[in-house]
Amino acid sequence: MLQPEKMPELLGEFLARQQPTWRDVRVSSYEVMTGGYSRLLAKAVVTHSGGTVALVLRGDPPADKILIHTDRELEWDLVRVLNRHGIRTPQAHFFDGTGEHLGTKALVMDFSEATSFLPYAASGGSLDGLQGRLAEALASYHAIPIAELPAQMQRPASWDEYVSGRIDEWRRTADAHVEDLPILRYMAGWLDAHRPEPVPLTLMHGDFQSANLMLTHDGHFEILDWELASIGDPREDMGYFKAVAQAAPPDLLDDAGCELFCARYRELTGLNEIQVNPVTVAYFLVLGVIGTVRRLLEGGAAYARGTNHLLGSVFNMNSVQFGHSMWLPTADALGPVLDQLAAAARQSA
Amino acid sequence: MLTRPTTEQVLVGIATELRDTIAPLVSDGPATVLLGQIDQILRGLAVRAAHEIAWMHEEADSIAAVTGTDVGWPASLHLDDVVAWYDSVSRVLSGALDEAFAAGDAARVAELKQLLDARSATEMRIVGGFELVGRG
Repeated sequence: MLQPEKMPELLGEFLARQQPTWRDVRVSSYEVMTGGYSRLLAKAVVTHSGGTVALVLRGDPPADKILIHTDRELEWDLVRVLNRHGIRTPQAHFFDGTGEHLGTKALVMDFSEATSFLPYAASGGSLDGLQGRLAEALASYHAIPIAELPAQMQRPASWDEYVSGRIDEWRRTADAHVEDLPILRYMAGWLDAHRPEPVPLTLMHGDFQSANLMLTHDGHFEILDWELASIGDPREDMGYFKAVAQAAPPDLLDDAGCELFCARYRELTGLNEIQVNPVTVAYFLVLGVIGTVRRLLEGGAAYARGTNHLLGSVFNMNSVQFGHSMWLPTADALGPVLDQLAAAARQSA
Repeated sequence: MLTRPTTEQVLVGIATELRDTIAPLVSDGPATVLLGQIDQILRGLAVRAAHEIAWMHEEADSIAAVTGTDVGWPASLHLDDVVAWYDSVSRVLSGALDEAFAAGDAARVAELKQLLDARSATEMRIVGGFELVGRG
């Protein structure tokens, strides 16, 4: 994938080895795609004795151009679990785990024929009912038993341990950066002082945002890009979605939308109103972005130290600063309501 | 030395040429995304070039006043020295925040948070109209 001009031949040979029942394999087109910041993406149209298929290749960039380090083998194992559970995400078919065939570690999966959600929304597509569909998409993979997820995924011992670790990640991220970050230290203190009611831990997507959603012809969301998946609090995906949607509309989880979303999610999962409501979503809006923020700051720090030269790392500092401008007023607004919810939870216990 | 056009003016000029003259000629997707990012970076740099040394000093004055700390002065007005000093001033603020949270002192936390709100407002003056170029 590092040398696109060689890929039709290399991919053809790879597929012929992987799929011996395919005869006369020929890659009729190979196009580099945009859309992902962190991985190389390409679309290939492949003809063989049984017909024509459109495939997507998703591979690691060269070492000096890696913005975010993630594990292709884990992604491959996870997507196969998702496929087995019928989660709406493209089917993964093949994996070059060493890069010896495709030039870099890469997954080969179906090209989705669904419509990218952001362009759909930008062109005026109807958003009616999509809050419910969003809840269904999240609930679908949140329901996968943790025991069935890839063994290499870290399993926190408890919700408390997990959330404490996430809050500490704010402090560790601040400590590791090339300059002091008092806003991150404030947010860590605030998150610690306003913990919501626990829920069972689940699979988390980790980058659940509109840019990773497609709309199928029958109006369901298909989910892309599982490279940041982990096991954690399912509300982090909701908060993260809202955080990004505020920067890149539409925000399906605006005031009215979030109520609809939460109601449908509670209906599907059996969680209660103290656990899943617009306020806890907003709490996780803040908590849930730290994983991405840490990676973005690591890129910026590497640029400052001269160990990477990627302008994307500089650009991403704008995202962090935009985050600051969202988290601080959110903390002001949510603190008193989270205190009320905690009191209600104590009363009902 | 010649100081005009200012750094701010030149950087805005480069960004404008890239956006209006170069970008329309580029059809390659990743290159278009990169140009969009460069546009935002250059416009932010223009604002920083014009104001950042003054803004760091103004914020340090506020932090010194609220925390009751003598934050000193940078070794010089060269940017590296100012940035190193600003980092030490930020550490004063972070330390005060940690202490206030550890003591459960909500009033003190609220007082210190006003400094963070001011810092964030400055950041957004630099960032300007933020757009996630290239996503989706």
